[in-house]
Amino acid sequence: MSEQNATQESMHIDPYERNWIRISIILLIVFAAAVTIAGFALGFQVPSPEERVDPNNLTGPWENPGLRELSPGVYDLYIIGNATTWQFEPREVEVPVGSTVSFYVTSTDIQHGFKLQDTNINMQIVPGQVSKLTYTFDEVGTYDYICTEYCGVGHAAMFGSLTVVEK
Amino acid sequence: MTAATTIFRRPKTTSGFWGWVTTIDHKKIGIMYGYTAFFFLIMGGLEALLLRLQLAGPEGQILSQAEYNAMFTMHGTTMVFLVVMPMSAAFMNYLLPLMIGARDVAFPRLNALSFWIFLFGGIFLYSTFLFGTTGAPEGGFLAEEASRLGSAPNGGWFGYAPNTEPQFSPGTVLDYWSIGLQIIGLASLMSSVNLITTIFNLRAKGMRLLRMPVFAWMSLVVNFLLMFSIPIIAVALFMITFDRQFGSQFFQTANGGDPILWQHLFWLFGHPEVYILILPAMGIVSEVLPVFSRKPLFGYAAVVFAGAAIGFLGFGVWAHHMFSSGISPVAQAAFGLSTMTIAIPTGIKIFNWLGTMWMGRLQFTTPMLFAIGFVAMFTIGGLSGVTHSIVPSDWQQTDTYYIVAHFHYVLFGGAIFGIFAGLYYWFPKLTGRMYSERLGKWHFWLMFLGFNLTFAPMHWLGLQGMVRRTWQYAADMNLGPWNMAVTIGAFIIAGSILIFMWNWTVSRRRGAEAGIDPWDARTLEWTIPSPPPEYNFAEIPTVTSLDDFWHRKYSEDEEGRAVRREEAGTLVADLEYRGNNPEKPIHLPSPSYFPILIGISIMLIGYGIVYNSFAWGIALLAAGVLGTATSFIGWAQEPAEEPAEEETDGEEH
Repeated sequence: MSEQNATQESMHIDPYERNWIRISIILLIVFAAAVTIAGFALGFQVPSPEERVDPNNLTGPWENPGLRELSPGVYDLYIIGNATTWQFEPREVEVPVGSTVSFYVTSTDIQHGFKLQDTNINMQIVPGQVSKLTYTFDEVGTYDYICTEYCGVGHAAMFGSLTVVEK
Repeated sequence: MTAATTIFRRPKTTSGFWGWVTTIDHKKIGIMYGYTAFFFLIMGGLEALLLRLQLAGPEGQILSQAEYNAMFTMHGTTMVFLVVMPMSAAFMNYLLPLMIGARDVAFPRLNALSFWIFLFGGIFLYSTFLFGTTGAPEGGFLAEEASRLGSAPNGGWFGYAPNTEPQFSPGTVLDYWSIGLQIIGLASLMSSVNLITTIFNLRAKGMRLLRMPVFAWMSLVVNFLLMFSIPIIAVALFMITFDRQFGSQFFQTANGGDPILWQHLFWLFGHPEVYILILPAMGIVSEVLPVFSRKPLFGYAAVVFAGAAIGFLGFGVWAHHMFSSGISPVAQAAFGLSTMTIAIPTGIKIFNWLGTMWMGRLQFTTPMLFAIGFVAMFTIGGLSGVTHSIVPSDWQQTDTYYIVAHFHYVLFGGAIFGIFAGLYYWFPKLTGRMYSERLGKWHFWLMFLGFNLTFAPMHWLGLQGMVRRTWQYAADMNLGPWNMAVTIGAFIIAGSILIFMWNWTVSRRRGAEAGIDPWDARTLEWTIPSPPPEYNFAEIPTVTSLDDFWHRKYSEDEEGRAVRREEAGTLVADLEYRGNNPEKPIHLPSPSYFPILIGISIMLIGYGIVYNSFAWGIALLAAGVLGTATSFIGWAQEPAEEPAEEETDGEEH
């Protein structure tokens, strides 16, 4: 008799436990759906390699990094990170409010990071690879960009700033 | 070649200095692992305190930039490779044979070799503070003369190439790092083979796999993880060593090397490594909670299989460390999902631990407090870990203090709390005496308070945008107050560690006699005298069920409550008497000089490789190779029998 009880008990799932299991499964499904929708339907940007470049010999726009105006209020911004001088080039950028800026960032030597404070831009900068993200600046202010990927003794000194000014 | 065997007679002594140096007893090796790891815990802790002093206020000036980089690199490297891993090895070495009813591990001399290689690898790594040199890349405007404190590896514990390539990190400190870790990895690899063999081959009669204590199970999983993940980091370290020493181009972007390759290799090792650090603590907690809840572990099989599942899944999540490095959206989604999946077995364990305590008659001893602290803190860390699986959220957290907060909640709140639970729990077995419960509780509450004061604010600092591995922060970032709180917390932790050291030192000499089974426990190590005799079991036990010892002491009433059998007291007294008085003399393998000799020789090889451009470096290399080869031959020819029979035996070979 006791054995039978034991089998029945082991099959029994407490209502609280069953609810826990349900909630966990629903949460997992929600998470999975959120990731999938964000990745594929909403087209969230990934700082994916926009193009490959030769880190020893940066040509084209990289010869003269900085801001390029494509049309009024739409900019491409080319930035190079460097671990000999621990600087971003350029260090200071100014755009009018309401601008949409595409950041193209690469490195001449080792891995760096590029994080634009107070925005959701954060990418790893890999030599030989151009990382790209786009952001629209609707508020006037100064946005610092800093290197987030440890790059040697001058890592902490590696920063720059983007200023958004009134039109 | 027989010279080696005749030069070194097989040593006889099992006490005193030479007894420790030549020992192949798993318990002594475990104790040496423990003390060494604790020494490095103090070193890593001091490094952490320096880091926190530097960051206590904005624009700190305690450390120079070079020193700061050296300190955070050494703090991470030390805590992972020289503290938590060897501390787990200490528990596994000491307890595994006792828990499965064996007299020693499968290969006792190999076990000693693992320890000595680990020790000399650690000494090699730390000798960088004496001999290491640093530098900045050519033309770098921050090139500065580093102090001795700054003359330590400075590439981060993750050592991302190409930053660790010679032109960006000249000097020898990163050679010490890469070769030092290579040596330490060798020790882990050997010990994993040894312990897996021990678990599969040396279990007592009736100790089926699913009757093993959970700690033994978690050790098995960890050792498989080690066996499969250490070779990956070994390959990566060989590559960087070759790049640095012999001009190969694996990570030289300028010549077509791959800058991301290191990240993949490192994290393919690094993520299983995280489970290597946490699973032994999970095993310890799974032993402690049932004993002090007076109940069997809830869902034994679920805990075991969840542990194994973590082992498998742990190899499939590494890219979540590199979501911002430009891997494709499909890969990001896949690794995000696999990271969520690994939370499931972890959650199963947490609920099983809660189920174990549920309706139990809880006894809040120090090990129990640490075990409960583990469950609570690990849950927080686990949940913040799940937030990393959401890719867009992870990009924002990457390289911020939020990550630092997360992994300290799992590795300190998890692994270190689990280790302290184990240290207190098995202290009576180890020493035969009881620790001071009052001091133990002080230790726990101070550490619990200090821990949360240190690491909880890091979540907020990270979300405020405080970036990791950065020497100073500007005053206008408004990060000062919480950073000050963090620093105060770090010193409270340091204070609690001092209490632990005091408690340990005094109690092991003057504590009350513990007897063989002070906790009324469940597993085999409590059926033998405390401290265990050299032969462990006077008679190898026969096991008939999970928690065999408990069932010999307790039966159940109609409602399933445990009722202590009348004969339990006599049983324990009888076990103690018989454990101390074996019927037949027990033959144990003799000690050996060769493990420590090989350990020293391998350290010499390490120095030889670092200084291979000097003639004396080559000489060191040659000495090391010769020492290793000779010792191995001596080892192979070492007679298994007592020294008395050695001479005649030796000549026959």
